[in-house]
Amino acid sequence: MRSRLAPWLTLGVPTVFLIALFVLPLLSMLVLSVWRTENYHIVQDWNLRNYWVLATDGAYATFLLRSIAMATAVSVICTAIAWPVAYGITLYGGRYKLLLTLGFAVPFLTGEVLRVIALQGLLGPVGLVNGVLMSLGAAPLRAIMYTNVASAIGLVYLYLPIVVTVIYLSLLNFDQRLLDAAKIFGASPARAFFEIAWPLNLFGTLIGFALCFIPCLSATLAPRFLGGPNGTLYGMAMAQQFGESGTWALGAAMGVVLFVLSIAAVFVAFRTVDLRRTGFTGFGRS
Amino acid sequence: MRFRPGKIALIATVVVSYLFLYLPIVHIGLASLSRNSSFPYPPHWSFATMSRLLGNSLYQTALGNSLLLGVLVATLSTALAGAATIGLMRHAGRKTTLFLALFIAPLFVAEVLLGISSLIFSGLFLGLQGNLGSAVLANVVHCFSYALLIMATQLYRYDWRLDDAAMVFGATPARTFFEVTLPLIWPGLLGAFIVTFIMAFNNLEISFYLLGATPTLPSVAWGALRYGVKPELYALATCVNLVVLCVLAVMFVLMRTGLATFGHRPERERAAV
Repeated sequence: MRSRLAPWLTLGVPTVFLIALFVLPLLSMLVLSVWRTENYHIVQDWNLRNYWVLATDGAYATFLLRSIAMATAVSVICTAIAWPVAYGITLYGGRYKLLLTLGFAVPFLTGEVLRVIALQGLLGPVGLVNGVLMSLGAAPLRAIMYTNVASAIGLVYLYLPIVVTVIYLSLLNFDQRLLDAAKIFGASPARAFFEIAWPLNLFGTLIGFALCFIPCLSATLAPRFLGGPNGTLYGMAMAQQFGESGTWALGAAMGVVLFVLSIAAVFVAFRTVDLRRTGFTGFGRS
Repeated sequence: MRFRPGKIALIATVVVSYLFLYLPIVHIGLASLSRNSSFPYPPHWSFATMSRLLGNSLYQTALGNSLLLGVLVATLSTALAGAATIGLMRHAGRKTTLFLALFIAPLFVAEVLLGISSLIFSGLFLGLQGNLGSAVLANVVHCFSYALLIMATQLYRYDWRLDDAAMVFGATPARTFFEVTLPLIWPGLLGAFIVTFIMAFNNLEISFYLLGATPTLPSVAWGALRYGVKPELYALATCVNLVVLCVLAVMFVLMRTGLATFGHRPERERAAV
């Protein structure tokens, strides 16, 4: 007879943990979003005024549109860079494949604050790029100082490693011999890529895209320190509701909007592809 | 040899991406170790910034708190994720997809949202003051999913028939776990532990809302960054980068020399079919 203890321990404990510390907080955010804040106090009356403010106040709509545009652009750029990198590493990495991929993970693991500091060293007014330009006698480049371009470069820098890692993991489970077979039958490398490697790794690519899009959508640090006066993004405005302005209820409503948008983006992305065609077989079992 | 533009373009992209990632890190490393800190080319070496950083008592307290946070988060999330991985592979049956969706859901929620929603839940609804404990719990939610993914990629090749064999010969489930499963899966656990430790150590966006008045290294750095970039911050980032690099280098050497195989056992791949 099989003991009933093991399933409870191995599945029940993590489930209870996640419900208590992940699902309940998200629900409490939803509840708070229909209350309101007055003079730093929470007033419990149920209405949708916070959402009405978010929908009608032009500033919040601008922040949201800017965030969506920024996240989309950054995710597309990251995917476009990460694919050749991961593909190059798997094709030509040889025995150093693992080392090369780990090299991409090192910066990702050192945390956002420290990487924003490093970015300041690259893009800031006295940073590397402007230092080089000025020592060559040229004028400093204005486009990268406290603008949306600087935020975008910063976000690409922050999230490129995770996209590369995810696409690399997808390529690792992909049977390279399929490419050899295609080439033997006369396909050019480009055709082999577009007809075999790309469709079979679409699932991994989408996960990488999502893991870049979602944090970018609610980015708080990079726009704050790299973007200029026109660089306020939605996540940054939300963080301010919990800090400087103390309007928690409005911030919670913004959080709900961000959460719904992230989930919708993931849902749309995964609906548009047929998972079985991409070679996804589930969780290590068929 | 034939000229292959595709190969050259791919390798060039890899090289350029590496430069893009590491140039700022190397730059601030040089800046923190030289007297001319804003444009250190050529560098005039000096350890003044480093010694100022190491002598600062606020950074020392913050380092202690960060280490404690990292160890607690890594232990908890590795244990939970280890249990969850085994549960998913052994006991979930037809509900695998359901449990998997719940377990990796935190990956698809931005860190700042996790931080804010935990703050609302514990601060407002439960009325608890923020402290290191609440920060640990909120970080575990996020790190748990990463640990689960790391372990799942390592353990899906694990041959469960070894466990069945031990049970057939009369071992209790607990004894099977400690004498068969654990010795074989520890490299995966160690990998998850290291990665979650580094993530929690460096996390700001979750911890920030839950720490209350407890300083950690990222929150102190964030506070200092608001008043402009100082060479001390460069030095701090350089130190953390060096430590992370060393840890991952040791991990890599262990994997290469075969001292720890981190779950990948070529001979088992054939046997498990």
